[in-house]
Amino acid sequence: MRTRELLPIFLLTLAGTAVAQTTTGTTTTPGTYIPGTTFQNINPNYPIANPFYFEGKIDYEKLGITTPSNFWEYLQRGMHYQDDLFDTGDALSDYQTALSLNNLQKGSCQLVTASTLTGTDTLPATLSPPPCMFTIRLRLAYLVRQTNPAQAIELYGEVLQIDPQRLGVNTLTAEAYVIMAQQATGAAATTAYQNAIAAYKAELALSPVTQAFTALTADTANNSKVHWELAAVYQTLGQNANAVSELQLYLQATQWHSDVYPWRIPLAQSMIAQLTAQLKAPANSTITREKK
Amino acid sequence: MRTIQHFSILENFTILGLLLGGTALLPAQTPQGNGTESFFKNQDYQPPENCLPCHQRQYNELKSSVKSGYRNVSPLFNGLEVSGNFLSGGLLRPVYANSTVTVSGVPLNTNMFTSSPITLTRQDQAGFCFTCHNAVIERQGDTSTPVVPQLTGLGSAGAAALFGAGFSPTTFRPLRDYVEVDSNGNQLLPPTIGGPPAPGSLPSLAAAGITCDVCHNIGGPDLTRSFYQDGFGNMSLILNHTIEKVGPFNFPTAVKGDFHVASNDQSKISFLKSGAFCNACHDVRVPNLDLQHLESNTNTGGSSVHYYRLENLSTEWQIGPYNSTSNPFGKVTTCQDCHMSNFPFAGNSFYQVGDLNITSPTPAVYAQDFAAVPGVSTEGNYPLPLRQVVSHYFTGIDVPLLSLSELQSRLGPDYPDVFQPGTDTHGLPYSIESRREALLGAAVRIGLSGTDASTTVGGTFNVQLEAVSLTGHRFPAGFSQERTAYVQTSVTDNNGFLIYQSGYVVDKPHPNTGEDAPDGNLNDEDIEHVHAVVNPGAFIQPYATGTGNNGHNNLVFELGPDNGPDDRLYSGAPEGLVLFRNELTRIFLPGDSLGRTDANGNPIKVAGVHYEETFSASFANTVDNYRSLSPLRPTFYNYEVTLPTQAQLSALGITLVGPLHVHAQVNFEHFPPLFTRFIAQTTGPNGPSGAQMNLVDEARIDAYLKNITGITAADVTVDLIK
Repeated sequence: MRTRELLPIFLLTLAGTAVAQTTTGTTTTPGTYIPGTTFQNINPNYPIANPFYFEGKIDYEKLGITTPSNFWEYLQRGMHYQDDLFDTGDALSDYQTALSLNNLQKGSCQLVTASTLTGTDTLPATLSPPPCMFTIRLRLAYLVRQTNPAQAIELYGEVLQIDPQRLGVNTLTAEAYVIMAQQATGAAATTAYQNAIAAYKAELALSPVTQAFTALTADTANNSKVHWELAAVYQTLGQNANAVSELQLYLQATQWHSDVYPWRIPLAQSMIAQLTAQLKAPANSTITREKK
Repeated sequence: MRTIQHFSILENFTILGLLLGGTALLPAQTPQGNGTESFFKNQDYQPPENCLPCHQRQYNELKSSVKSGYRNVSPLFNGLEVSGNFLSGGLLRPVYANSTVTVSGVPLNTNMFTSSPITLTRQDQAGFCFTCHNAVIERQGDTSTPVVPQLTGLGSAGAAALFGAGFSPTTFRPLRDYVEVDSNGNQLLPPTIGGPPAPGSLPSLAAAGITCDVCHNIGGPDLTRSFYQDGFGNMSLILNHTIEKVGPFNFPTAVKGDFHVASNDQSKISFLKSGAFCNACHDVRVPNLDLQHLESNTNTGGSSVHYYRLENLSTEWQIGPYNSTSNPFGKVTTCQDCHMSNFPFAGNSFYQVGDLNITSPTPAVYAQDFAAVPGVSTEGNYPLPLRQVVSHYFTGIDVPLLSLSELQSRLGPDYPDVFQPGTDTHGLPYSIESRREALLGAAVRIGLSGTDASTTVGGTFNVQLEAVSLTGHRFPAGFSQERTAYVQTSVTDNNGFLIYQSGYVVDKPHPNTGEDAPDGNLNDEDIEHVHAVVNPGAFIQPYATGTGNNGHNNLVFELGPDNGPDDRLYSGAPEGLVLFRNELTRIFLPGDSLGRTDANGNPIKVAGVHYEETFSASFANTVDNYRSLSPLRPTFYNYEVTLPTQAQLSALGITLVGPLHVHAQVNFEHFPPLFTRFIAQTTGPNGPSGAQMNLVDEARIDAYLKNITGITAADVTVDLIK
């Protein structure tokens, strides 16, 4: 029998191991201690919410879940489908179920705000309904952003309601707006691009470049990805002066950090030169960028 | 859709074996019963030198182990312990039986080691680090003058103090200051706090750390000190102090004289030989409430003691495939089988995990040797048998961050060179640096076979990385939120034009620690997924606990261009750095200040909740221990790589030439440089003590932080279709 044919059995086996450990691990009196066997009688891989649910991914077979029974378990299985089995269809379905069970509109989850805290600024150990989870929303939004950018934007909005300071979410929002713009025409496209610009700026505002920042890091700009993408939006809108400005910030931000696509750095220099030349003497020349 | 693959032994691994492994947790060890106290006559704890005449080899090996002397003088360990005390107001230092400290009116006169069960969080905190690193010395503090004194003040200064007049950071010394003595055995403190040992000083028993006696006086697990009565964490060991020395042999040879007797207690022998012996210190459970995973002490009276899991290594092994027969070797493979054997210098094994054909060193191969020096160790020179013996190198992934002269000045002139050439009689390198590099080389394998076969200019293609940990625990383990393994990936065309990179570092200035220009050293650079500077605190009088004086929060925290970990985990995005590092997180609650300012200079306060990586174990209130690689579990990571368009290539004056070359390799980083810079600053002259504590600085980071690159690698080519 080939390895691949053994795999479903092995997955079940691993799950069985987790269950076995959950149920047969013993809390013992000293007289029955068995090295290598005596172990806590609660599965250490299954976190008990307190009051937040674990925002991360646990090796699914270690959880001992047969059928998901709540939003967190659906999220975990969805991530297993997506990351381990490359099954985005079932992942999408599980994320949607998770969202329906951890839903702000339906009141099945809540935002934790100052009013959630008790009189002594203490977080209650349990919250009913439970806190809204950001991973469910981020995962689902990423899967639907090409087919339904409006839903993705709505989900990102909920993430920012949960955690307004969360880095990267405004960028994801902006990217969804760009997708929306590319799928639209006319005023709708322009509006979407304008919304993207606002979202990119919101991202930059979360990690401002201050004197103190520069003194600590020697950086005079940051968020190179945002500046690169923002420059592209400006260029698309024909706002070349703004595009040049963003490309210059991109170069500053990459000075000590390079880029995952390092050729963008000389390309940005080239683009700045060309765009600046165009600004000085408008012409019909165009510069092509890769499409996101 | 694909199915996940786990390992299979190439030919003789059967379904029956799989089912057995899963449906019944096979006993990993023969039931033995609990350890007990010893009925032999008492004996003071012995310095390792007293064991040397008969156990020369073991002495030499242990000397080079970081868990013996080095850890007690380690600048990083000492700096970490200092920083935790700054934040808490000295709560991590031990109290002893004569303590007059109270907690809500209840006397606090036991520390972590002497509390069984632990019923107060403060008991858990008291000696939190010191207990595993020097349990015997801590225990002696109850009956003799403590080596590490009780602090005379705890908490914020003034009326809010928890004890005395409050904690005094200006007089606070790192633990290592207390481990030197003069020739009469009297404690000799360095003239300056944290500074070089006083002239003529000698290492004391406290400098020796985990000595022969710590392990060989074992009585068994102290189950009630562990939170689940299972012997995990909290240094949950019964340490006897008698002439009964527990070794690994069932029928030991009688020892000459009355220095010690070799134990014949089967339960103690079995415990010493088991992986469970390591559980007491290789699970580290920090007494901070985890806001994502409620865990509490289950012992009677202990329910108010909560914790999160910092080091989770023993649990990982306990529930992992190597504590079963469901692994490529078909038998339980213990801690000792890799860290006390000839591994990884004893030949290779071949097996398959997922899509990867693995060639990896074989564990559990032990040398044949005498357990003691023939001719001096037995009565009447009774002949010693050749036995299967263990190594006492305890090689892990750590090496000293001190020079040889510093090591020898603190730990004695016979302290071995980290880079000592040659091999011992068992064929193992003397050099701990060489051993750890070889160990790392055996830890992980990667493959790229799932990568797309072809792509086009301007197109997007998928690089698929498959990674498998071969370790008995997750990889990396231990202080796994700072120990760092990551994948460096590049895509180049056939002319070497770099199209994509991930897991790269850039030489840059670090003005916060005085490196004002790039220094040509890449070992002191962080990977580019986030940019962070940790607040080291400041010398502010009066002293107060918390972040105001002591920092620990992030002064700078922003996403970098290679932001893989968060994008991959939370969004499922196929891009950016693949990082096998667990993460400490601070969940800020509504109204909390992040500790940095907005563009207008106003403090940023949290309106909802805010999750942010923290590089301080003391400041963390939750942890993600699932980012490291799970043993024998193939894990896949995709990189969606976009090639430049033809127009962009034209602007660059580049013509892409196929095939494209994808290269991936795993690199290992001792600690993130930003973490070491935090330790440098918080223990530096501008930190809470207002004085240089002589532990870490930029020069030390530059000199000793050495990354191990390319511990495993994979390559694949991708056709470029015109």
